[in-house]
Amino acid sequence: MDAKAVPLFECSGINKSFSGTQVLFDVGFAIKAGEFLGVIGENGSGKSTTMNIIGGILRPDSGEMRLNGDAYVPTQPNDAMEAGIGFIHQELNIFGNMSVADNMMIGRYPRRWEKLPFINHRAKRLATAEALKRVGLDVSPDAPCWSLAPGERQLLEIAKVVSQNPRMIIFDEPTTSLTEPECRRLFEVIADLQAQGIGIVYISHVLSDVQRLSDRIVVLRDGHAVKSTATRDLTRDGIVEAMVGRPVSQLYPDVPPLGERRPVIEVQGLTQPRVLKDVSFSIAAGEVLGVAGLMGSGRSELARILFGLDPHDGTGTISYEGAPFDPSPRDCVSKRMAFLTEDRRHEGLLLTQSLTTNLELVHLSGAGSGAHVPVDRKQQVSNAEDVAHRLRIKARDLVRLPAKSLSGGNQQKVVLGKWLVDAPRLFILDEPTRGIDVGAKEEIYRVIAELAGQGLAVMLISSELEELAGLSHRIMVMSRGMNVGVFERQDGGFDRAAIMARATAADVEAA
Amino acid sequence: MVSDTTVPPRKQGYRVLIARLLSEPAFTVIGLLVVYTLAVTAAVPGFLGAGTLSAIFISLLPLLIAVIGQSFVMIVAGIDLSVTATMGLTSVIAGSVMTANGGYLADSALAVPVGIFCFLFFGALVGLFNGLCVAFIRMPPFIVTLATMMFVSGAAVLYSSWHTTSVSIGGLPSGFTRIGYGTIGPIAFALILTVLVVVAADFGLRRTTWGRWLFAIGNNPTAALISGVPVRAVQVSAYTLCGTCAGLSAMIYSARLETGTPVLSQNLLLDIIGSAVIGGVSLFGGRGSVLAAFLGVLLLTVIDKGMQFIGLTLFVVLSVKGAIILLAAVLDALRLRYAEGKS
Amino acid sequence: MKTLTQRLSNPRLLDLVPVVLMLLVAVFFSAATDSFATWANVKNILLQSSHLAILALGASLVLLVAGVDLSVGATMYVAAALIGVFMPGAPVLIWLLAGCGIGLVLGAINAFFVVRVRVAAFIVTLSMLFLLRGVGLWISDTKMVFAAPHLLEMSRASFLGIPVPILLAGLSLVFVHLLLSGTPFGRSVYAIGDDPEGARRAGIPVERVTFMLFVLCGGFAGLSGVVLMSQIAAASSTFGQEKEFMAIAAAVLGGTSLFGGRGNAFGPVFGAILMQTVQNGLVLMDTDPYLYPLITGAVIFIVVLIDTLRNQLSERLGRSPIRVEA
Repeated sequence: MDAKAVPLFECSGINKSFSGTQVLFDVGFAIKAGEFLGVIGENGSGKSTTMNIIGGILRPDSGEMRLNGDAYVPTQPNDAMEAGIGFIHQELNIFGNMSVADNMMIGRYPRRWEKLPFINHRAKRLATAEALKRVGLDVSPDAPCWSLAPGERQLLEIAKVVSQNPRMIIFDEPTTSLTEPECRRLFEVIADLQAQGIGIVYISHVLSDVQRLSDRIVVLRDGHAVKSTATRDLTRDGIVEAMVGRPVSQLYPDVPPLGERRPVIEVQGLTQPRVLKDVSFSIAAGEVLGVAGLMGSGRSELARILFGLDPHDGTGTISYEGAPFDPSPRDCVSKRMAFLTEDRRHEGLLLTQSLTTNLELVHLSGAGSGAHVPVDRKQQVSNAEDVAHRLRIKARDLVRLPAKSLSGGNQQKVVLGKWLVDAPRLFILDEPTRGIDVGAKEEIYRVIAELAGQGLAVMLISSELEELAGLSHRIMVMSRGMNVGVFERQDGGFDRAAIMARATAADVEAA
Repeated sequence: MVSDTTVPPRKQGYRVLIARLLSEPAFTVIGLLVVYTLAVTAAVPGFLGAGTLSAIFISLLPLLIAVIGQSFVMIVAGIDLSVTATMGLTSVIAGSVMTANGGYLADSALAVPVGIFCFLFFGALVGLFNGLCVAFIRMPPFIVTLATMMFVSGAAVLYSSWHTTSVSIGGLPSGFTRIGYGTIGPIAFALILTVLVVVAADFGLRRTTWGRWLFAIGNNPTAALISGVPVRAVQVSAYTLCGTCAGLSAMIYSARLETGTPVLSQNLLLDIIGSAVIGGVSLFGGRGSVLAAFLGVLLLTVIDKGMQFIGLTLFVVLSVKGAIILLAAVLDALRLRYAEGKS
Repeated sequence: MKTLTQRLSNPRLLDLVPVVLMLLVAVFFSAATDSFATWANVKNILLQSSHLAILALGASLVLLVAGVDLSVGATMYVAAALIGVFMPGAPVLIWLLAGCGIGLVLGAINAFFVVRVRVAAFIVTLSMLFLLRGVGLWISDTKMVFAAPHLLEMSRASFLGIPVPILLAGLSLVFVHLLLSGTPFGRSVYAIGDDPEGARRAGIPVERVTFMLFVLCGGFAGLSGVVLMSQIAAASSTFGQEKEFMAIAAAVLGGTSLFGGRGNAFGPVFGAILMQTVQNGLVLMDTDPYLYPLITGAVIFIVVLIDTLRNQLSERLGRSPIRVEA
């Protein structure tokens, strides 16, 4: 058989369901040796699930995968690596308490004597140094990993995968915590790997990177592979339309007009060592301020500092409703600030408690509450019913059913809803639509626009530029802890290309 | 994505039953109680008499108070291993104040009120210290309270060695010892005290904002913090109340023994934590009630008394109780796993 | 790429704390008593701390994966009582092996509940503490169990010029050191302690390794029980009581973290010697014996406090900072 006719890797007809909800529908694509395949899609489109299936972390319900034409059926992560598929997770697998060499060789230490389980430390160091050289990482094999910078950790992870001679490497959002020179180095390494015939599967939110580097692009939307096309045949608009799946105007509600400008929160020169630098902005009543930026740009950290969740011991001032304000979560809640966390399971929900208990929590902690205050249960239940009705939370029982029994979208509505019992005046939303389906997204968008129309100030943080563009009055772009520009809504919306260019600041253009 | 990596097992027949039983520890406890009582009665017919039962009931009162205190801490996903040491310390301090044999307030009218105050105050003080360490320095609860336990029990022994040559401080005034077995009208004084604690704790846990905060923190401390719950203050309050309850419990025990002694509650730690866990107060936090504490205490006390009734030796009792708490913890872990399996 | 602040806040600086403490303690007692700084006393301290060193080595294995074993004291008692009652005349080597064996079995019971049933380690081992104490009392019938004369001889004998208890502690040290630093098993212990989920993703058999660590911890406890019994000639009903706290304190004092992933074989031994040194000094100074538990409690508290602060510091450093342009 002609080697060129057989793709390096191909999958087809992959289906996957979680708890009865199908998340992947007949997903399939192929990649040739040395090819750079970009995989894009919105949050919750099924990118990670697909990659986890290829990486042997999840098993598909149906479908087949072939590696060099042979059936490939991984049952655990090690199977993937042994077959030659390396996976570099967004969440790096680096043990900070161990040395570079230990991290590199864990699970496959060279032995001193064949029959005895003793490590050959010399061979371990040599092999590590060799692997580090391949990716151009200049650190000592004996250096402890906690001392490495994020970019060095990323390269170490790549070196670890590369040293096992993979035929294909999956990168999941590799640039999220990298600085610009580190990104450039990463791309050089990837180009080098391509030249060696290694197939690259590259998942990223940074469309410009994907467009510039990839040979082909696969677009996933709601669990379907909706497009698989050579990159040169795609325009930016074409990609975005494929990701969103419909003209943007249908998904997003009308942005309510802004009246007289009355600032709710004003931030002046906010600086926090190693996190934020001289960030200034304000949000007016009724305004939606979008915050764009890559992960690690400081956008979530800004939100957490504003809500008193992360310490602020640097300089700069925050004033809220005209008065200077030193935030703590408790003050924020009593002053009617609201915060929707990006991690609803770990920071948002009381998973094993009922919806009423979840929905009443903010109200019970807000202004005029106290430890001694008796809980009026009838009132709480009726409050919960109101909110559930308003947000169209689909649940059979608000009093007995635990929050974890809901679907992702309804869970997110509960986290959102607990802030709506007492009308908030400023709402900080950190990735409000992460991992939920388009229907729930649409409803959350509707609620955001509705609240803004009622005079609520909204700070909307998202890695989906489309979402920001569809909902915001203005978009603030963050990069490396700084506010690097604010874009106003024009008649035709926002200049997305300019925003993206500013967010990825100089790396693309300068390279 | 992360949320959906486990596929829930399909539940069938017996699994539904197991899940149901696990989710309602009260059924298990009552069931065990009935079976055990019948078994002991079969072996020693006198067990089910009114005398034995009322003796069991009267004897479990101070334990119940201590277990309620422990429950507060366990609901916020903490643990207080220092309670028994705290009980010993408050006992010797109060004893040294009240004793007729050279106490600070010997034969004074203030002796008893000040003594009672000492029980509550020093109990609260140790609890406060634990709470501050856990909430503000974020030290792991079990190890902080372990260190406190060693220190406090050492302090109790040292302190009593300053006041008496024997192990314990005797000569407590009769006005105090009456708390132990005395009655007001037909009702035992200790019973009144316990009922007050039970009612207050139940109201606090189920009807007040404070109670909601405790459960929210035990369930998800970060979510509670973001929702505006004063997490640290509530944690400190839980530990402080636990210490106070320990002091109150020590008061009844000391009155019953008519001595202030550092070894007041040796081996009681197991009973306290064991009762709470058996009753269904979760070691993982976010779950517990006064009823659970009561059922746990009842079961453990009945088992204890039953074994004594049969005539088993102390060390067998110790082993059996160790096994029971282990069993309860296993059930607790299974309960959590079943609860999470449904997500 | 390291900044100055990163260098200064290097968590390893805190590792020097026990060394400094040891120096302070040694200087203080040398000045306060005549008999402290003598060879005889140093040897005495080492002899007295051998059993604790062995125990702390075991405890630290479990601590390395953020577990804990509170049942080691009771395990010591069961081991001593079982052998003392049923086979007092056995040769010394059998005593030692049987002690280890009993400990390994009891450790496996702990391991089963912690790893297979997934019950919190401290509650499993806390109930085992009471359960095993009861079993020990049952075996010994609450009577004093005496060590056979040849066992006493062992504790006073020397091999190659090294007193046997010290030799046993030394062998345990070598074993744990080789295990932790020289074998893939040992390295995986650190990975699990740092990030169990990450370790699982990296293909490490997390359950199996954790199981083995609890088993080993029990084994060391059994051995320690035999060593201590040979030194104090008998096991009373309180034999080994509160040793679990001493062992954890020694391990943490020697730099083993309660939060897992940090520590080595030498730390716990050093910590055990330090704790014994304090006790020895206090005895020589003729202080009130009622003070000892107070001081031990305070030492544990301070050590845990330092460990907590160190853990928070390294957590903060470990979080990848956002690069702000200077």
